[in-house]
Amino acid sequence: MSEKGEELYNGLKQRIDRLTQDGTEEKQFVDFWRIACTAKYRSHDIKYLYDDSSREYIEKYKDQLVKMREDFIENIDYYVDKCINVMRKTCNFKVYLAKTNEEAQKIFKEEVGDYETVYKSCSSEALDIGLMEFAKKNNIKMVETALGDKLDKWFEWKHPPYLLGGGVQFTPEEIAAKIKELYGDDIEPDPQAITFYIRDKFRPDMLKNVRVALTSANAIAADDGSIVICENSGNISLITRLAEKHIVAVGITKIVPTFLDACLVTKTLSRINKVSQAYISIIAAPSNTSSVQGKSVQGMYGAREVVVIFVDDWRKKAAKENLIYKDLLKCVGCKTCDFICTASRAFGNVFGSRYGLGATGIIREYIHHGIEAAVKAGLFLCTGCEKCTNWCPVGTDLSEMMKSLKKEATNKGLCPPPLEEYRSKILQDKNPFT
Amino acid sequence: MSKLIFLGCLSKKNFESTCQNAIKLIQFLDSEYQVYEDVPCCGSLLYHTSLKEEQVEHQQFVNDWFKEREVSEIVTICAGCYNYLSTYYQENLGDDFNIKVQHLLQFVNKPENLKKLNLIYNGKKLNVAYHDPCHLRCASTPIIEEPRNIIASIGSKLKLKEMENNNIDSLCCGSGGGVYSIFKENSDFNTDLIFKQAKKVQAKVLLTPCPFCYTALKRIKNENEIRIPILKFGDFLVKIMDGGEIV
Repeated sequence: MSEKGEELYNGLKQRIDRLTQDGTEEKQFVDFWRIACTAKYRSHDIKYLYDDSSREYIEKYKDQLVKMREDFIENIDYYVDKCINVMRKTCNFKVYLAKTNEEAQKIFKEEVGDYETVYKSCSSEALDIGLMEFAKKNNIKMVETALGDKLDKWFEWKHPPYLLGGGVQFTPEEIAAKIKELYGDDIEPDPQAITFYIRDKFRPDMLKNVRVALTSANAIAADDGSIVICENSGNISLITRLAEKHIVAVGITKIVPTFLDACLVTKTLSRINKVSQAYISIIAAPSNTSSVQGKSVQGMYGAREVVVIFVDDWRKKAAKENLIYKDLLKCVGCKTCDFICTASRAFGNVFGSRYGLGATGIIREYIHHGIEAAVKAGLFLCTGCEKCTNWCPVGTDLSEMMKSLKKEATNKGLCPPPLEEYRSKILQDKNPFT
Repeated sequence: MSKLIFLGCLSKKNFESTCQNAIKLIQFLDSEYQVYEDVPCCGSLLYHTSLKEEQVEHQQFVNDWFKEREVSEIVTICAGCYNYLSTYYQENLGDDFNIKVQHLLQFVNKPENLKKLNLIYNGKKLNVAYHDPCHLRCASTPIIEEPRNIIASIGSKLKLKEMENNNIDSLCCGSGGGVYSIFKENSDFNTDLIFKQAKKVQAKVLLTPCPFCYTALKRIKNENEIRIPILKFGDFLVKIMDGGEIV
C-alpha cells in the first residue's frame, strides 16, 4: 500500500471512530439518519395515501423509465441539441451549453452581473457544477432559501449534505438556540414555531429583494423545452416568480425526451420519496402577456428572463467513451439509493462527499477530484450488496461503478491493507487464508 | 468426468463440522460427488479489488485446475463462491468454462433430492427466520425461493417467519467486498438489526446459507449476548436428517 493509501485509510478510521463518540457531528447525524432510513424504507410499502404503494408504482413504470434514460444516453447529442433549439425558438429562453464547469461558472458570473446577490434553492447540480465554491471566491452572495440549507449554513455543517432535507439532524432545541445566538430572538424549540419564525423572518426579505433566482430542474423536456421543478416549501415557486432573472443551472442529464417523460420523472421523485410535493412548476417561457393589443410582451409579473445554463463537463465524454461512471448519467436524483444502502445506514455522513451522501456522492467526488478523493470519501466502505442497483427506478448500476472504482484504487496502491493482503494471497497462494 | 464439492476457503478454514455435514448431505444425495484437497480459491474477492486481466488470469488458473480433474459439476456450500463461479467465470471465460455450478440450496431443492431426503421435523413447533445473503439474492441465477421451499417441505411444525427485510430487500451483513476485514462497524449495526428483525417475528432460530454472513452474525450474537441461535443452512438440514433437536 502506498503512503497516501495508508494516510487515507487512517483518516477514514478516525472518522469512523467518531461515529460512536458522544458529541461528535458524525454520531449526531448517524443517530438520526438510521431512523430516517428505516422510516423511508417502510414508507415504500405504505398504501393508504394512494391506491398503490411506492414500490408498486416504481415497478409499474421502471421499464419505461430505464428505456427512456438509456435512449437519452444513446442519443445524447440529438436530445441536447433538440432541447436547446426548442428552448431558443419556442420558449424564449436564453440558453448556454457550457463544455466545462469552469465555462459554466464564467457564464453564471456574467449573468449575475451587477446584482451581487443570488437567491437559490437546494441543488445538487449547483454542487456538481461548483457554483457554490465559485460564488464564494467571487464575492457573489448566495442566499439559501431552502430551510435545510439555511440550517446547514447556520451550523457551518462541513459534512456531506443530505440533499432531500438538509438540516434534519439538528434538534429543535439546537435550532432555537442558534436563532437566539444569531438574531437574539426567543422562540419555542418546536418544529412549527421554528418554521413560522423562519417564514416571518425571511419571506418579507424574499418578497422585497429577490432579483436573481438560481435553481436546478428535476427534468427538462427535449420536445418542448419545459423545465419541470418540484418542491414542498414554495421557495422555488416564490423566487422564480419574484426574480427579474431566473437562472437554471443543470447538467445536460436533466434532459428527457418528452414532456410526458419529464412529468413521469417528477412524479416518480415524489412517489419514491413519499413527500407531499406541494408544488410542481412547469416553466415553458419567461412571464409574458399579450393583453395590450395582442402584442406579446415579455416580463409581466414573473421573471423577465429565464437563462438556462446546460453543463456538459463529464457527461458526454462518459456516454461516448463508455467511462466507468457512464451509468450515473441515468440518475434522476431521487436519492433512494442512500435510504436503502446498508453502508449509508452504518456509516452515515462518513460515507459520502461534498456532493452528497452515499455512493452517488462518492462517484461525483471521483469524477471531479480523482480516485484518492473517492477513497477518502469512503469508497471501500461499500460492500457491493447491490441493494442500490436493485432499487434504482431508472436502473443505475451504482454497485458496479463502485466496484470499478475500488479496482482502480487498488491498482494505484490505495486499497486498505487487510483487503490488499487477501488479494495478494489469492493471487500468489490461491488461498486468502494461508 | 467428475463432480466436485466446492467447500470454499472460509468454511474450510473455520467451519470443519459444517464442511463434514455438507459432504454427508451431498454424498447422500449423489455419491459421485467428491472432495479434493488443495482446491484453489474461486477468487470472489478479486471482483472488488483486481483489474479484469488479473481476475481472468486467476480464473484461468482455477479453470485449468478443474479441467485437470475433469470437473463437470460443482455443488458449493458458499454463497460467495456460488455467485462468482456461476456468474463471472462464464462471463470472462465464455465456453471455456463448461461446468454446471449449483449452490447447496439449489441442489437440495431438486424434487428428486427433496424426496430422497424426506426431511421431517418432529420436534416442538418452531419458528425459523431466514437471512437472504446478498451473494445469493443478487446472483445471475438468484437463489431466493429454494430455501423457502425446502423449509416448507419439512413439515408444518417448522414455520418460516419472514423478517422485515427479506428476499431481494434483505440487509447486507456488512461482510461483502471484504469490508469486514477492514471495518466491522457496518456489520456491528446491520447484523444487530437482522437479529432484531428475527426477534420481532418471534423466530427461535436464524438460518443463513452464507459463511460470511454467519461469521458476522455469530460475532455480534456473542458480543451482544443475543439469545437467538444462528445456524448455517446445511447444518440445519443435517440436524433434521439426523432427527436431533435443532436448538
